[in-house]
Amino acid sequence: MTGNKPGKNQIEQFLTFQLAGEAYGVEILKVQEIRGWEAARVIPGAPDFIKGILNLRGAVVPIVDLRERFSLAHSEYSAKTVVIVLCVEHDSSSFVMGIVADAVSDVLDINGEDIKKTPHFGAKINTDYIRGLHVYKGKMIMLLDVDKLLNPDEVGNIDNLG
Amino acid sequence: MKINMPVTDKEVLMKKGSLLVSRTDLKGHITYANDAFVEISGFSRDELIGASHNIVRHPDMPPAAFEDLWATLKELRPWTAAIKNRTKSGDYYWVDVNVMPVFKNGKVHEYLSVRGVPKREQIEKAEALYKKLNANKAKMKPAGLAAVIKSIRGIALWKKQALALTAFLAPIFFLMYLLFQAQEYMALTVVALSAIAASAISISLTRILNHTLDNTIGIFYRLAEKKFGNSIDLSRNDLVGDFYRGLYSMEVNLSLDLAESRQVASQALRINQALDNVQSSVFVLNSGFEIIYMNRSIQQMFKNVENNFRKQLPDFNADKLIGATIDVFQQPELQRGRLEKLNSLLHTDQLIGNRHMSIDLNPVIDNSGERLGFVAEWRDRTEEVQIEQEIEALVARIKGGELGKRINTSAQQGFLKALGMGINELTDVIERVFNDINRVMEAMAGGDLTSAINNEYEGVYAQCKHNINDTMAKFSEFITQIRDAANFIDESSQEIASGNNNLSHRAEQQASNLEETAASMEELTSIVKNNADNAHQANEVANSAKLKAEKGGDVVNSATAAMQEINDSSNKIAEIISVIDEIAFQTNLLALNASVEAARAGEQGRGFSVVATEVRNLAQRSANAAKQSSELIQNSVQKVRAGTEFVNETGAALNDIVGSVIKVSEFVAQIAAASAEQSAGIEQVNQAVAQLDDITQQNAALAEQAAAGSISMSEQSTNMANLLNFFKVNAKVSPRPNPAKAQKPEPNKLQNAPLKTVKRPETRAFTQDLASADNEWEEF
Repeated sequence: MTGNKPGKNQIEQFLTFQLAGEAYGVEILKVQEIRGWEAARVIPGAPDFIKGILNLRGAVVPIVDLRERFSLAHSEYSAKTVVIVLCVEHDSSSFVMGIVADAVSDVLDINGEDIKKTPHFGAKINTDYIRGLHVYKGKMIMLLDVDKLLNPDEVGNIDNLG
Repeated sequence: MKINMPVTDKEVLMKKGSLLVSRTDLKGHITYANDAFVEISGFSRDELIGASHNIVRHPDMPPAAFEDLWATLKELRPWTAAIKNRTKSGDYYWVDVNVMPVFKNGKVHEYLSVRGVPKREQIEKAEALYKKLNANKAKMKPAGLAAVIKSIRGIALWKKQALALTAFLAPIFFLMYLLFQAQEYMALTVVALSAIAASAISISLTRILNHTLDNTIGIFYRLAEKKFGNSIDLSRNDLVGDFYRGLYSMEVNLSLDLAESRQVASQALRINQALDNVQSSVFVLNSGFEIIYMNRSIQQMFKNVENNFRKQLPDFNADKLIGATIDVFQQPELQRGRLEKLNSLLHTDQLIGNRHMSIDLNPVIDNSGERLGFVAEWRDRTEEVQIEQEIEALVARIKGGELGKRINTSAQQGFLKALGMGINELTDVIERVFNDINRVMEAMAGGDLTSAINNEYEGVYAQCKHNINDTMAKFSEFITQIRDAANFIDESSQEIASGNNNLSHRAEQQASNLEETAASMEELTSIVKNNADNAHQANEVANSAKLKAEKGGDVVNSATAAMQEINDSSNKIAEIISVIDEIAFQTNLLALNASVEAARAGEQGRGFSVVATEVRNLAQRSANAAKQSSELIQNSVQKVRAGTEFVNETGAALNDIVGSVIKVSEFVAQIAAASAEQSAGIEQVNQAVAQLDDITQQNAALAEQAAAGSISMSEQSTNMANLLNFFKVNAKVSPRPNPAKAQKPEPNKLQNAPLKTVKRPETRAFTQDLASADNEWEEF
């Protein structure tokens, strides 16, 4: 879907998921697969939010815990814990990465007009990975820019995070 | 011529080496005889002294012999012969007599006879001679040729020499005449000169001999008169010189002997003087038991006791004791026969006349062991004996308790007077002491304890006095204390009597109280029995409750089991639901993945997307249904669990109830047992109360007896106090006033009342009488 930026009035599909009671959404076209949680191979020396790597049909997929990535309260993994395998594009190359979510909620069709801009909080707080906010049934869904969020540089650079 | 008769044939032998010495005056009277002479003659010294010497003449002796003796003595020559003498008893003894005149100032003064022991052949010769003389066959004087020879011997020396010279010169003159005739003048001259020389030497020799003999005779006579210090020529070296030297040494020795003899004599005199002056009364006996010496003291003593002695010895004369024998005292202890065997001290006490004489007789023995005589010491013990007897009598009287008599000391002197007075003083003291003791003891016997011994004494008397005084004081003190004690006892016994009466009353009350107690105890017994029955019923009820509770328990257990099964089923349902949920979840995931794939497929995937969405909705509905079912099941599981818990609690509660019921039934059983024990205990208490009742009765009786006893004790103490009043004691410990007597209740009332109380019903009346006494009980 590279170069096919949807226009304002275009309808886009988002996969929403739950994280610490809050709803987040990612573009459905970035989603490669949705899986139940299974234990990952731990990578020594990696940051805490990188839970390890999974062998997904021959491809090595790093797993990121978004709760820890977003400095949210940690929770135990359960049978309902899901891993959303995403396809991240970075510098014209793409790689696969999994994020751990409490639960997958829905697939929403969202009009581009209904995506609210991310408020500006000043230079100190990086909001680049947030694409925008969408209100659905009275709840605010934070739509994430997967490419920026799971940028390997971003992932490795802790200082850039709030 | 005196003839002494009778004679015997018994010969007395002189002791060897002894000498019989006597002196006679010029008329033949004995003036001195030594002890040996006196002893052998058998006469006493008195008989011998002054008697004629012929007192010892033996009839066998021829008178011619004595005529010869006297003739010889008249010629101033010593006479010597063996002579046979006669003893007083008629026995005979031979002596070798030497009689010589003793010169004094050149004149014969007396004759000295010294007799030695004759030799046996001398005796035989003499005996033969005296027989011849008695038969007139011989003469004492020599006759015939013997007389011529004797007369030649008697010619003076110078005459003999003249004769010898004449006999010597006659042949020489004849020779000279022959020579003269032969005209041999040369030879005549030689012969004449020789004759002259020989004659001169002969004359000179004779002169020297005569001169020496004259000198010697002079010296001898002087020596005989004990005159020493004669000049003797000791210078000559010839035979005459030797003669003089012998004479000289004899003189020196004689003078020495004489000096020694004089010294001994003076010593003897000194002893004699000393004995004369000693206080002891001493006389000396010779071996013939004659008194030969008396000192002044004994002379005085015998003089003093002469009159007393004469009562027993009428012939006793104190002035004529010297020379008398010991027999003059006529004491059997002092007889010769006994004394002759005596060789050590003899002490004897003799009563002569009425004088007590103490005599110590000691033999005097010389160096050769010969007894020379005795020395006797006399002491007049009459006064001593008298005072001894008096003291003995006094001591006997003192022993017999008679202290009034005393020794009469007016006639005594010196030590004996002091002794008598001392004993009198001693008796005075003892009498005084005993009088004092007697007085005090008499007073004490009369009950008077105030008297004491006030005289001053010493030593054991003082101790005795102090002890008696202390005894009196202590006794007095004791009496006072006893009197106080008696009063106190009197008082106390009154109190005890009233106290005992009260005690008796109390005992009666106690008895009635005990009866009430016994009744209460019976009620208590019935109550306890009721209790026991109730407890038994309660036990049965508890048992049935226990059974029911156990049944409830079983129900609870089966309910619990049912609940458990429900629970298990619920769990299985829950598992199934969870599987459904899982499937719904997976389905949802698949549907989502399908949606993702549909989205990716774009327009072609639109329909698929719808299906996926429908699937997802179904899945979500399934999930929701599963969720609801799960919640329901959870709910029911929880409820079942709660129910199980309730049932379990119920079971536990039922178990508790069972346990409690068991405990209750145990308690009830214990209560029943306790009630039974109580019942038994109460029975025992009942018995004890009955015994208490008996004992209380006995106590009451004893208390009455005690009351009676205390009253009689009171009487006894009063009696004792009265008895003690017999003693009079010093005022300083004044008898205490007797308060008990003043308060003393009438004994009759007290005596009679307790006797009644032995019977029970009458006690009330008595106790009412003494009701007022109750107030005093606390103080008793």
